[in-house]
Amino acid sequence: MKHILKILGLLAALSAVWAGLLETSLIPYNYVWLLPIYLIVSLGCYGLLMVGVGLMVFPTCPQEATLLQKDILEAKDFLMRKGIDVGAA
Amino acid sequence: MELADKTVGFLLSVISLSIFTYYTFWVVILPFVDGDHFIHKYFLPQEYAILIPVFAGVTLLSLISAFIGYVMLKSKKKKKRA
Repeated sequence: MKHILKILGLLAALSAVWAGLLETSLIPYNYVWLLPIYLIVSLGCYGLLMVGVGLMVFPTCPQEATLLQKDILEAKDFLMRKGIDVGAA
Repeated sequence: MELADKTVGFLLSVISLSIFTYYTFWVVILPFVDGDHFIHKYFLPQEYAILIPVFAGVTLLSLISAFIGYVMLKSKKKKKRA
């Protein structure tokens, strides 16, 4: 909840600065949409970067997979000896 | 499989970083460079810095809406048959 307030405050401050710059006509009027579009483009780039980094550093544990397969075989063997059908051996 | 995922992730990171760098340079730095500098040859006029993202966003939104509508229609049909 606090984080979103911080983000909203930052956005409000940015738009106030932008409006001030436009009002004092330091920036030509046909550039009004440049800041919002720039913010959206940066947000999209940030999201894409986070997805890429997440894919790159995605943790895998192959030794755990082999342990799990061993466990499955053990359990199947155990159940079969007790007389329970668990499909293909 | 793992290597393919890593490659895709690396490609996504590179694409996003390059788009961000290019766009930042285009929007933030270029207005402060003289109009007859040679670097202006590598960038479209400033109007396109607004037009292209808006066009891309509208296209993306329409595609997403079309996809959602298609999926909803399909699920409705499946429910009727069952």
